[in-house]
Amino acid sequence: MQRIRTILTFTIGLALFAGHVLLTEGSAVAANGSQTSSGFHYGTTLSDTERVGAEIWFNATAGNSRFFTYVYQQRLGVMIDWYRVLRGDARDERFYRWGLINDPDCCKPGDPNCPATSYDETYGFDYCPGDDELLKHVGKTGYRDPACDLKDVPIAKDDPHGPRDLRQSACDLEFGTSTGALGLRKFPNPKFDKVKWLQINGGHLDTWDGYTAKVMPRKDREAPAKSHLIDGSIEPPYRIGMSCGACHIAFDPVNPPKDPAHPKWENLSGTVGNQYGRFAQILGSGMSPNTIEYQIYGHSRPGAVDTSAIPNDQVNNAGTMNAIINLARRPVFEEDIIKWRKTNQCPAGGNERTCWCEPGKDGKCWERSRKKEFVHHILKGGEDSIGALEAIQRVYFNIGSCSEEGWVNHLTDLRQLDPTMRGFGQTPFDIGQVRRDCPQFRAIEDRLPEIAAFLFSGPPADLYKARGLKNNTALIQQLDKEYGKGAVEQGRAIFASKCASCHSSQGAPFENRDFLAVSKDMTGRNSRVDWLGNDKLIPVSEVSTNRSRSLHSNHMKGHVWEEYGSETLRAKPGDPQLKEPSDGGRGYYRNISLLSLWAYAPFMHNNAVGPEVCGGPLDEHYYSPYVDKDGEPLANAPACWVFDPSVEGRFKLYKASMGQLLNPSQRIPKVTRFNNDVTIRLLPKLGDEKLERFIDTAIRFPVGTPAARIGNFRHKELAEDLVMARTNFDKLKAKYVGRYGPEKGEQIARTIQDKGKELVAKPGSILEAGAELREAYSNSLAVIENDGHRFGEDLSDKEKDALTAFLATL
Amino acid sequence: MRYPRWLLSIALAMSQAVLLGCPSNPDPPQIPYAQSGEQYSDKMDLARLEHELPLKQADLMKITPDNLKGATQEQVDQIYARLTAGPIPDGVYDGQMFFPKGSSERARLAEIVGGGIKGFVVDVKAATLEHIGEFIWKGKVFYRNEGVLRNRIEDLLLLKPIVGPNIESIPKLDIDDKDSWLLFPAKLYCGQSLMDGRRESIIIDYAFTDDLPGYREMPDVLAGREGLEIRDEIRMVRPGFYLGRAYIKKVFALNFTLYNKAVAEKDTPAFVDSGTTTEDCWIGNQRLTAMANKPDHQQARLIEPQ
Repeated sequence: MQRIRTILTFTIGLALFAGHVLLTEGSAVAANGSQTSSGFHYGTTLSDTERVGAEIWFNATAGNSRFFTYVYQQRLGVMIDWYRVLRGDARDERFYRWGLINDPDCCKPGDPNCPATSYDETYGFDYCPGDDELLKHVGKTGYRDPACDLKDVPIAKDDPHGPRDLRQSACDLEFGTSTGALGLRKFPNPKFDKVKWLQINGGHLDTWDGYTAKVMPRKDREAPAKSHLIDGSIEPPYRIGMSCGACHIAFDPVNPPKDPAHPKWENLSGTVGNQYGRFAQILGSGMSPNTIEYQIYGHSRPGAVDTSAIPNDQVNNAGTMNAIINLARRPVFEEDIIKWRKTNQCPAGGNERTCWCEPGKDGKCWERSRKKEFVHHILKGGEDSIGALEAIQRVYFNIGSCSEEGWVNHLTDLRQLDPTMRGFGQTPFDIGQVRRDCPQFRAIEDRLPEIAAFLFSGPPADLYKARGLKNNTALIQQLDKEYGKGAVEQGRAIFASKCASCHSSQGAPFENRDFLAVSKDMTGRNSRVDWLGNDKLIPVSEVSTNRSRSLHSNHMKGHVWEEYGSETLRAKPGDPQLKEPSDGGRGYYRNISLLSLWAYAPFMHNNAVGPEVCGGPLDEHYYSPYVDKDGEPLANAPACWVFDPSVEGRFKLYKASMGQLLNPSQRIPKVTRFNNDVTIRLLPKLGDEKLERFIDTAIRFPVGTPAARIGNFRHKELAEDLVMARTNFDKLKAKYVGRYGPEKGEQIARTIQDKGKELVAKPGSILEAGAELREAYSNSLAVIENDGHRFGEDLSDKEKDALTAFLATL
Repeated sequence: MRYPRWLLSIALAMSQAVLLGCPSNPDPPQIPYAQSGEQYSDKMDLARLEHELPLKQADLMKITPDNLKGATQEQVDQIYARLTAGPIPDGVYDGQMFFPKGSSERARLAEIVGGGIKGFVVDVKAATLEHIGEFIWKGKVFYRNEGVLRNRIEDLLLLKPIVGPNIESIPKLDIDDKDSWLLFPAKLYCGQSLMDGRRESIIIDYAFTDDLPGYREMPDVLAGREGLEIRDEIRMVRPGFYLGRAYIKKVFALNFTLYNKAVAEKDTPAFVDSGTTTEDCWIGNQRLTAMANKPDHQQARLIEPQ
């Protein structure tokens, strides 16, 4: 049965692009960067289709440079100091400071053989291929984007929109040129004013220091420093965009660079996932550490980022960037899906909200319909479950594409406390509208099969290859030598009996399964038969790891990504073991793949089980999350492990992480806490004592406040309830009696009423919410980040070693 | 108990404001609106609204500074979302502010400043500020070429305690035979709307104004990055007439209109004839796509690099 299911997976799940791969001809020419360089992407020979996909994955920003230059700063109010992150003179330190991967094709101005001789020419950035043309257009219009030169492969013969090529112009993919860090792209800003720029930067072109320098408040020393980054009247020389590669390109575990600051193309992979990336810190790099935004979102571990921080669902839930490997064998599930599907005509006079054809492109139509389909479970809790292609497309919204046309109007404005006003809560992103209004959406959508083809080309990283061994047998000999004779086979047996029910895709019985079997898949490549995870959704209380990520709510009905969640997902019942709301598809984690586990420590969705990792002395972002039994910072906390992408470094980290995984009682609890006091004034302090006595209102968050406690708190509902407590107490009481029963419900309503009275006299007391209020208003009560997944703790030490040895072979 | 003189001034001004204010609400502009419910989730998405119910030129001509005051906040939002920024204005504009209809106007601002919780002490304080603003603010003066704006204050009585001495050094204009002091400078640029991201608005930004000529720490700091962090945005209804939104610390506070009679009389006939206007700011892909099939003479003229 499982075999039939697997075949079905191939047939249906890959049909949209596998046929494309096999049936199309033509040659792709990389117009930009060196993705065609010898040795790129594991040395695998990519097909033309895959290479086009790679080029898009590495370079396409799909218009998000406006998001990262204007929307993020002005609309969302969070500042990015791009110069701090990307300054060329710190190129050698970039990996350790920010976890960014240097582009091998870029150079530091002034270095031998670098076409740029000084940072004046590049406005302080690296010099990269294509900059000769780009730099001519800083402050000018007329830049021709390198994406215009993308050589598309012919449209697939079975594409409903074919046979004519009706694809959106490749120019709308918007490649720009590299910034020097892979995945971060730059574009000439036509609004750049050189005179103004020189004024603010002290007459220098080689720096952004005047623009980004922090200006301390004159009257209020508790207030955060600000910089001209908030001054929208100043246009920087570049608009910075982000491709998917920013989070997904990193070092090939099998062939790591000798020096992480100077990788070569053969050391890089576009699908491995950046386990070092400090994207939360990058996206908050222009914020003062004493701001609430920085303290809630700016402490994600390397390799983890809260992708729902921007559409904010008030769940503090940073998650890892997944390795995209061996996808051809990833399980699929038949689910009930409402989505747009390609067609070549719509009924005359029909409703364009259910069927729409692109004007001027006869036969390029989409119809919205409900059908059963086999789909992957993509995100940690199985969200993004309407198809692989749609999941890929949504990555572009996560990184800002079509933000103005399509999604910022659907986000929650955390400051909007009036439920009658737009922005109070999320509203659903409308795929049909964005397709119509955003050309960059169409440019990506029309090339999703190529991107998918590239992603399906990512192989697992085998430890035996990384060690330069001939085969797994040789690896097993090494591991048996290290862990004891027969350790790997003993570990295999333990895995089959205790782990495989969740971490194998082959189905029971597992005793005689070959977990390492390889065979040819539909893309024509050899791939591992076992995905080593069944991707089924299990209630979070069963795995009992930090549950915040599972309570992510963006795919619920009425929420921003509703259209990317299946009806099947949303129909799942909540987890009855949880105190927090878990309806609408929340409350689950999928059983993840253990492929190449040796290369992906630390573990769990948040990288919290295992040693903490950091960039060493250059890392300004690390601070210890270890706490004692009272939740206080741990004295003599373990030091963080410095990034080490070498084979030996990864294996050492794997072993230490396995030790913590299998010995949960020995884990030191980790809690991300504020490392700065934060003061939020409702009205400003201006240095006039009389005035301040009159209007002083401040809320202070002290150092040590658990970030999750604030990030998960539904302050808007509390505000509504406080008003209700004064205007209609009976209604408030009924609300909580309905949720918690008569006794507890009334008690909570009374507590809210009392809190309202207290706040009149002491606004800051809003933070002194007791356990009762925290339970009522928290989307997740979990603060310990590395607990749960206690499976295997009852094994003997020898058995744990054996299991560790076996898992290293996967 | 002895009250400070500035507090008495404010109390006096408040009483004047209350006596002079409170006009009855006119009928809102008679133009198409999407039906909407009370809750945020019951309102039509702005992209869909504009696609299905675009404002025609005749609709724009029906909107006036006065009848906008009769619109509910949702109606005002729906109008604003269907406007473009138009040209960055130049010269003297008369201003009127109006508060969201449908709730207590005074309490509305107080709610926002006070964090949304009625019963805060700041309810009263914010109401005070609200009336001060309404009483003394008379409009704006745009210096388009410098990218600067200043606010017109016609009565310095209220601000005197915080403005301090040497008020003669404050630049002023004679407008309709009345002195208009120019305070609260701001920077002008095209930027993000905090309500509707689909296209840019003209932004009036008070964050970094201390480098502008004529900046006076008190009272100008009140509006800036160390003060209330005020940020206004405007879009054009028709030549000489703009609809604006004011934000305090990124929280929507109130609506306002700006009107220049001379510009309106001079440029409206051409606007009526052509149906188009100059656009200084990015009008967004929805408009650009919608315009793609229009004949050339109906295209907006984009004069700024995008």
